[in-house]
Amino acid sequence: MKKIHFVLIPVIVLFSCKGKNASHSSQLIAPADTSVSAAPSIAKELNTDLYGNWVGDFEVIEADFEKLKGQTISRLNIVIKQITDSGVIAQSVVNGNSRLMRGTMTQSDGKYVFVMDEPGDNKYDGRFNFTINGDTLAGKWQPYDTMLATKTSEFHLTKKPFVYNANVMLPKEWEYVDYVNSKERKESYKDEQSGVVDTFINTVYRAASEKVYQVNSSKQALKERDVKNLRRLDLQILRNTIFARHGYTFKSRAVRQFFDQVDWYVPVSDNVEAALSAVEKENIALLDRFEKYAKDNYDTFGR
Amino acid sequence: MYLYLKRVTNIILLIALAFFFFLMGEITTRYFPFSTTASFLQIKQTEVATLPWYLPVFYTHVYTSMFCLLAGFTQFNRNILKKQKTVHRTAGYLYIISVLIFSAPTGFFMGLYANGGIAAISFFVTLATLWWYFTWRAYTCARQKNFIAHRNFMIRSFALALSAITLRIWKVVLVHFFEPAPMDLYIVISGLGWIPNLLIAEYIIHKQTVK
Repeated sequence: MKKIHFVLIPVIVLFSCKGKNASHSSQLIAPADTSVSAAPSIAKELNTDLYGNWVGDFEVIEADFEKLKGQTISRLNIVIKQITDSGVIAQSVVNGNSRLMRGTMTQSDGKYVFVMDEPGDNKYDGRFNFTINGDTLAGKWQPYDTMLATKTSEFHLTKKPFVYNANVMLPKEWEYVDYVNSKERKESYKDEQSGVVDTFINTVYRAASEKVYQVNSSKQALKERDVKNLRRLDLQILRNTIFARHGYTFKSRAVRQFFDQVDWYVPVSDNVEAALSAVEKENIALLDRFEKYAKDNYDTFGR
Repeated sequence: MYLYLKRVTNIILLIALAFFFFLMGEITTRYFPFSTTASFLQIKQTEVATLPWYLPVFYTHVYTSMFCLLAGFTQFNRNILKKQKTVHRTAGYLYIISVLIFSAPTGFFMGLYANGGIAAISFFVTLATLWWYFTWRAYTCARQKNFIAHRNFMIRSFALALSAITLRIWKVVLVHFFEPAPMDLYIVISGLGWIPNLLIAEYIIHKQTVK
């Protein structure tokens, strides 16, 4: 990942300036944008208005569904970074993977058709086929590896800039239930008339408390007393909300289930360490300690 | 038959004590080597950072309290009581010193900063105070050769020593059935850990006195 960052940083900086120029000069569709004067060594950029984050649902539509456990929708961000005559550079950020893609764009009927390939050295790499039509980017993805449970995923994305905002919170209208990690509990019921005892196996899910949308773990410097009465799931969600605000893409399904549907969540990176504020770093360390303690001690004889 | 049952019960209780003694030993090993963030201290960093005496007091409690439980193996055994007076006396001194000088005072000061707020603090501080008092009275009664009072106070004292075990058993049971929030649980076990023990101790004393 480090390498990719090195390559991209100068490119992004250059183009973000140009993006502004371009939008000033004209609402261009025309590829020949002569008003932009660039260094001659850099290839001419096309359609910079398409640049940026395209964000939305990434849904598995074709799969070996028996092998595929848990949720089938996650949040995808396709970052279009550079379009030139020689090709397109973009990044796919989804399910904890941030992958650089290269490919081509063709134009037809005012639509832009892209075919983009991920590098292929990751198990989950594949090909994106999509079309930008007005304000919607839609298409399909297929993995190179035909042995993967997922065969085809579909996505409908809209443009959404990523801005870090410490104030955003999980929506309070929702219930936060951990559907990924469940426990099975045996329960017996005795039929009074026949005397037959039936045993049921109930699946028990953990639900988070209201603290997960009341406590702002990015702004409030948390003290031990603030988190002492929280269960492990609350602690985990509070800690991961910090990362979500920074656009971290989560590998773990158990974490993704809480953020993939959140409106403000835009996955942009698989490493946000450098962006964390001092308060956030301290809160993460504190929450980590409490999570570890809860894991080792909550339901055991120890203390 | 009655005698036989009693013997079996005694053996079972001793095995249970040995089992939990072993578990307590395991918990103690989590504090080797010395660390400012070991196990329970992970959620006590406020005290570790602000109270200079907290770590020494905490570690004294952790490292010495195991010895209090040892008394359960020897001190209530009729044979040792009657025939091995030196064993009883040596083990007795070990218990008294552990409790009066180390475990109870450190427990008292830790209790002042217990998790769970004023309710848990009151429970733990009362526990430590009563434990020290019963042990002290048991000691002075023995010195005065008032052995019945000595026995009664030691039954009370050891019942409270066992709260180290019963408190943790209650915790496992309550979490299994109710999964309460950690500090709600803590408040409950800070009382439930020793009050029933003391009631049982009073019952045992009452029964023996009636006999």
